[in-house]
Amino acid sequence: MRVPESPVLLAAQALSLGYGGVPVLRDVSLTVRAGEFWFLLGRNGAGKTTFVRAALGELAPLAGQLTLHPALRDRAAVGFVPQRCTPNPILPTTVREFVGLGLVGVRVDAAARRERIAWALAHAGLAGCETQSYWTLSGGQRQRALVARALVRRPRLLLLDEPTNHLDAVIERGVLDLLEGLRREEGTALLLVTHARHLAERYATHVAYFHGGGVEAGPAAALLQPERLTGDVAATEAP
Amino acid sequence: MIGEFAASWPLFHHAYLAGWLIAVLLALLGVLVVARNQIFIGAAVAQASTLGIAVGMWAGAVLGSEVLRGDHAHGALSLVGVLFAIAAALFTARDGGAGGTREAATGWVFLASASLAIIVLAHSPHGLEEIHHLLSSSIIGATPADVWTFAALAAVSLAVVAATRDRLLLLAFDPAMAAAVGMRPAWWGAALAVWLGLVMGLAMRATGLLYAFGNLVLPAIAAASLCRESRSLFWAAPAIALVCAVVGFILANHYDDPPGQMAVVVQAAAVAAAWAWRRAVVR
Repeated sequence: MRVPESPVLLAAQALSLGYGGVPVLRDVSLTVRAGEFWFLLGRNGAGKTTFVRAALGELAPLAGQLTLHPALRDRAAVGFVPQRCTPNPILPTTVREFVGLGLVGVRVDAAARRERIAWALAHAGLAGCETQSYWTLSGGQRQRALVARALVRRPRLLLLDEPTNHLDAVIERGVLDLLEGLRREEGTALLLVTHARHLAERYATHVAYFHGGGVEAGPAAALLQPERLTGDVAATEAP
Repeated sequence: MIGEFAASWPLFHHAYLAGWLIAVLLALLGVLVVARNQIFIGAAVAQASTLGIAVGMWAGAVLGSEVLRGDHAHGALSLVGVLFAIAAALFTARDGGAGGTREAATGWVFLASASLAIIVLAHSPHGLEEIHHLLSSSIIGATPADVWTFAALAAVSLAVVAATRDRLLLLAFDPAMAAAVGMRPAWWGAALAVWLGLVMGLAMRATGLLYAFGNLVLPAIAAASLCRESRSLFWAAPAIALVCAVVGFILANHYDDPPGQMAVVVQAAAVAAAWAWRRAVVR
């Protein structure tokens, strides 16, 4: 009996992306399904963040197609965790308010809003911090608050741009475990931009290597074989 | 003191009402200005509006146009001031515009506007007096039209903020996330700049730089020290501005001091008290 495949949430076909008509990425083809954990690896300037911007609808393709599942087209079920968030420190805010801002563009009533925030905080390991000032959180907790702000949308597709860049190894692993749990329990598809190949070896189901203006994409087990690594990829950061 | 103020009401009620409405309106807008770290953009926009009014007066004198001269020039000069203010707000709101930083553009607009406004009217007998009047602020000349104009602007602003509060906050907290959820930060920034220019331009003509700039930044700063969440700033800042303006006008009437300046002094005292309260609570 054939096992039904998970739905395709994002598909790139012969996609070219760039700025001012100058391509940064050419002929990218990959398919992201529900429950997959994609690691976007490559050196600085290889086009990883450009691809994420296109997936978020901020950048139109120069050529080819980038399509989202119809249920994601209003972006209410798409989450994003930026590399860092540095709000103006004059702004007073609680963890609850900060996380609740992730609901912009999502139609929920007050009760559902409270329930979603509580769920996101629990999953991000910040339960009980609702009324705490955001400014009293540690660096790791703030990063978890960023993840919670994305989770509050109940995303089916979650994009993360180097979310653990400024964290120590213990907190980094905590954030990755949180994301892995989300993938397994909720079937969320994750696209994570990173330089850290050792994280891909531990968590990735799929890998996309960005190098030379192109992308090599596929299952992690196949692409993370040492003999498959190009010079660029082999040079990405080890633990 | 209250009785004296009530006695002055028939003579100055248009000025008082316009002053209070401007306080509420600018404090509401000031929340966004302070939240987006654009305090000095407010000062630059106010100075650009002053330059616009100066250029309008100069043009009226040179061209002999009655539209820009004399007692009937209020509307036309306000329009020129608003246009200059909007242009300045748009110019300074752009990140990295004209090859420089936003701060550099803001400083350039402020200094160029302040200097040019003086130079343009340096040889006009009444021009410098008018510029001094604008810079030092006086609310006494407010008209019934000012009251209706600022009531309408305040009502529209309150409605817009009520409908888009979370979007505005997300834009202030994290423009990258705002873009990711489908907002267009550049479009929103331009819309807010036009709104700031419009309101500041009109407020400048009605009350002058000190009162307009004071209401734009001080109530929002005080509210930021008193509130636990940023969404509360949208009612706390206008409330603080209104209370300070009422208290300031009553004190000014009692001591026979300029009301605009007195209101700003009260606001500054409110900010100092809020900072002291914050420091005490944090400790």
